[in-house]
Amino acid sequence: MEKSEIIAKVNHVLAEEFEVEESIITPDANIKNTLQLDSLSLVDMVVLIDNEFSVKIPSADLVKVPTFADLYDYLAQRV
Amino acid sequence: MLTGEALYDLIPQRPPIVMVDALWSVGTDNAVTGLTIAADNIFVENGCLREAGLIEHIAQSAAAFSGYDAFSKGLPPRLGYIGEIKQMRIAGLPCVGSRLTTRLQVVAQAGMVTLMSAKVECEAPNTEKTVVAECQIKIFMTE
Repeated sequence: MEKSEIIAKVNHVLAEEFEVEESIITPDANIKNTLQLDSLSLVDMVVLIDNEFSVKIPSADLVKVPTFADLYDYLAQRV
Repeated sequence: MLTGEALYDLIPQRPPIVMVDALWSVGTDNAVTGLTIAADNIFVENGCLREAGLIEHIAQSAAAFSGYDAFSKGLPPRLGYIGEIKQMRIAGLPCVGSRLTTRLQVVAQAGMVTLMSAKVECEAPNTEKTVVAECQIKIFMTE
């Protein structure tokens, strides 16, 4: 999968799942703040990424993806 | 594997609110628990376990699963809170004397939150084993 496809798909599925405008998802934006994720809903993002990309993000790796750009890179290395 | 009062090392609940009486197996991301429905179970009404009892059984099964990790390290059980229950489906209410077998599977983890799927099967005398409840449950574990 091309990185541009990853970016488009990530933005689309996260915006739809967490009911935010896709336009507010920018590479440098903080994921938790933008999607208004708390500790309970963060696990929903992990499930969504697994379902859509077949990539399991271990708890220890969540701190490595604070921004959407980090998430794009993380997925690009694994899909 | 662990039954009866041995489970008290894994969960913070005590009688009469204990709703799991066996931990049959524990894997890295799955576990199997059990409960025999007694006539004096506080969630029994008119001879059958109410919906709240099924939910409490699932929650305590998840707690026992989570508690096993601390138990195996010689630590006291950690407090766990139900964060969310979703996709709950109850297909039947098990009656007194029935035996519940509950299979838990970790779906995902993020920090101190674990999302598990749970499937509760019921085995009653002279009847086939049937699935009586299914759901996904989020457990928030304290430090």
